[in-house]
Amino acid sequence: MAEGAVPLPAAPAPARRLGLVGRLRRAEPVSLLWLLLAAALVFLVAFPLAKLVAVSLEARGSGAFTLANYATAYGRARYIEALINSLMLGVASAGLSVVIAVPMAWAVSRTDMPGKGLAWALVFAAFVMPPYLGAIGWILLAGPNSGVLNIAWRAVTGAEDPLVDVYSFGGLSLVIALHSFPLVFIFVRAALDLVSSEMEDAANILGAGTWTAMRKVTLPLVLPAILGSFILVFLEAIALFGTPAIIGIPARINVVTTQLWQFFEYPVRVEVAAAYAIPLLLVTVGLIAAQKLLLHRKGFVSQTGKGGERRPIALGPWRWLLLGWCGLIGLLSVVLPLLVLLQASFARAWGQGLSLENLTLRNYRLLLFEHEMALTAVWNTVWFSASAATAAVLIALLVAYIVTRRLVLFGEALGFLAMAPFVIPGIVMAIGFYAAYAGPPLALYGTAALIILAFTARFMPIAYAQSSAAVRALHPEMEEAGRILGGSRLTTIRRITAPLLKTPLLGAWLIVFVVASRELSAAVFLVGPRTRTMAVLLYDLSEQGNFEVVAAYGGILLVLTMIFVAIGMALVGRDFMLRRP
Amino acid sequence: MFLISRRELLLAAAAANAWVTPGRAQDLPAHERELYEAAKREGEITWYSGQYSAETSEAIGRAFNERYPGLRCNVVRSTSQVAFQRLSQDMHAGVAQCDVFSSTDFGHYSLLKREGKLLKYQPRNAAGLLPALRNADPDDFYHTTFLGLYQLAHNTRKVAEADAPKSWTDVLDPKWRDQLAVGHPGFSGAIGIWAVQMRKMYGWDYFEKLERNRPQIGRSSIDPITLLNAGERSVGVAVPSASTLLSISRGNPLRLIYPTEGVLATISPSAIPQNAPHPNTAKLFMEFQTGPGLSQVIRQYYAESIRPDVPPPEGARPLDQVTLLSPTPEEAEKYVPEVRELWRDTFGI
Repeated sequence: MAEGAVPLPAAPAPARRLGLVGRLRRAEPVSLLWLLLAAALVFLVAFPLAKLVAVSLEARGSGAFTLANYATAYGRARYIEALINSLMLGVASAGLSVVIAVPMAWAVSRTDMPGKGLAWALVFAAFVMPPYLGAIGWILLAGPNSGVLNIAWRAVTGAEDPLVDVYSFGGLSLVIALHSFPLVFIFVRAALDLVSSEMEDAANILGAGTWTAMRKVTLPLVLPAILGSFILVFLEAIALFGTPAIIGIPARINVVTTQLWQFFEYPVRVEVAAAYAIPLLLVTVGLIAAQKLLLHRKGFVSQTGKGGERRPIALGPWRWLLLGWCGLIGLLSVVLPLLVLLQASFARAWGQGLSLENLTLRNYRLLLFEHEMALTAVWNTVWFSASAATAAVLIALLVAYIVTRRLVLFGEALGFLAMAPFVIPGIVMAIGFYAAYAGPPLALYGTAALIILAFTARFMPIAYAQSSAAVRALHPEMEEAGRILGGSRLTTIRRITAPLLKTPLLGAWLIVFVVASRELSAAVFLVGPRTRTMAVLLYDLSEQGNFEVVAAYGGILLVLTMIFVAIGMALVGRDFMLRRP
Repeated sequence: MFLISRRELLLAAAAANAWVTPGRAQDLPAHERELYEAAKREGEITWYSGQYSAETSEAIGRAFNERYPGLRCNVVRSTSQVAFQRLSQDMHAGVAQCDVFSSTDFGHYSLLKREGKLLKYQPRNAAGLLPALRNADPDDFYHTTFLGLYQLAHNTRKVAEADAPKSWTDVLDPKWRDQLAVGHPGFSGAIGIWAVQMRKMYGWDYFEKLERNRPQIGRSSIDPITLLNAGERSVGVAVPSASTLLSISRGNPLRLIYPTEGVLATISPSAIPQNAPHPNTAKLFMEFQTGPGLSQVIRQYYAESIRPDVPPPEGARPLDQVTLLSPTPEEAEKYVPEVRELWRDTFGI
């Protein structure tokens, strides 16, 4: 890494007793830029968070200091139960995700398993599918009486009891895991790609077989990646709103996010919601800190270099078992839910099965021609996500550039702020935004701006991680050549840096776009009647349980997503969404 | 009290038909024309509603747009408590977005009125409502726009008619364990009203027993209909008659049950918030809702007409042959929040 190799002229020159005006005149544009970025990040990240904490300590109305909100938020057994449920759900989903994804990652990265492309495509599809759509798919698959799987199970075995009941803690965890495991896959695979075969060879020479070597050498080497992604899925799971609302309510499992929703019932108790959310934030920060600490203690030296040889391990017949596992996961996470959703979207009544008289276009007709909001919400989704992606990538790129090139003092502070939303559950962030900007003086509630800002902040870390990887990969010598030839820093950036960064940045933009277009938990408290997005409208539509219309709308959302994913694949590369920055 | 002779009804229907022919402004009654002219400068309204089903609400919005060309009704349909939550969030943030608010929990209105959040308006067309539905508020802050009937229903393939429950207490029989479906009072306004009524009649014990039968809990009161259609559950509790009849008309194997104790009726109003951004269009929409226009649309979706000059939906029992159960508005305002909390304690969600 070349950062800081050359003393750069842009570092603010020590002031030589100039007046303020003089100093401002001598300041390079980059210092002004620093100020601007700092202001933007404070607005997007620091202030909503500070407001969240402040509001949680204020009495309703008077604004006086109080701890009463915490007493209310944690004063009932039911509320604490919801917190415990969330934590358990997080652990279960993350554990299942690891069980699902680690063998797949190992198979794809280290072995001679056939059909790796297919496995990869399935992981990708599971990643792209919005979790609440998967949840609805699973209701259709595994409803205890009417679920396709259970009907088939009863027909085949003659059993009375259902094979799987989606309305249960296990069902809920599995459905979440089936849409979160790609995170584990991405991280563990990236780590496995770096482990050289020599390590395994050494183990083999010392008498260990393939399995022992994997268990005792390879897996421990990627343990940090497994742990890190476990924490990520945990955080994802406890912050989910759609899946717990759709499956958890019938299953009678109350979790933190559905409880937070209750605090927004009349009378709106933002201060109690804030107080209730703070421990969630602490859990998250604590986990990240614990992970840092754990990894800090152990030296995983072998991971750093790219040296060493990597050969696929010959598995013999076992490779078919692994392929079967990948296929099963693909079936459960993507193929089956999509099939039943597709059937439902063309059905009069989804429980009536496949038959001609059950076939209808009514659901699509209702959405495309009769529903007042459906198409507006499609448009909202596109332009909110596009604006948020543009803003996030722009800010992230500038911050990444300043931080990586060490152009200013305290650049890291910007980097820290840009990454901070990573550890803030989306729904908590939304409450911070509601507390900070919904009411006066800005009164942004119900405006597009509020949602775009929240999306920008929420997905800033993705944009930042991508941008900073891209900037780091760019050697400063090229820019220096430009500057030696007389170009200013901004000219150099425009003429040299920007063209080189175009492709990775487009990738970052598309990732933010795709994840923003399906975001529910950050949007659900912030939308107004005219600013509902597809995710929120899907949630509204699901209230009445008419899954036929919901499935049709989900189909429209998936088509939209696929268009942008296809653009990304064509312009940026096939694996643009699954690269670990 | 809802009694009206067939001949009167036919005459009235003919008059109403003449009324509803949409289009040109000169055909509108004078009071509507005046409002329409003022409304055209505003262009649109945003309607928060939890009363009619999503599909019906969209149809109401379209009918309004057709009758008053140039105006647009933004339909924001959700369960009533969610609609109220949206309105509360607007008020909390000091942002005015809602022009007309329609909820099945009629307790909302006395609360909003007392807090001075509603705009006073007397729609002329309200004089033509069913007599029992007139004068919902003597001070004219809100007017009836919805008469919802909530009953029992069963899937006829899973449960024979003879075995189906006949009364509200029949569903407490342990033989219905794992077969019931019901909405949630934290979301559905009507379910809150129903819970208040059941508690009034049978005490909270009713819900303790219901809980032992492990009903599947959806959010909307309409949710059980989908579960019955799919065969996921066999008996729907406190389901709206309109959605059930509509579903039957579409070929689903359902049957509506009139509980022996009587049918739960939610006679629910709509109101204009004090700070409505489009007050003239909102007033016009109140005229539309209390006039024959709304009733003619909703009866096609099997909802109860609220005017004597529009016949009730097909397949529904005439209202004068049905016992209607309902708590008072005071009881609704006071007890719905209470039963919501009790519900959450009992059912855990």
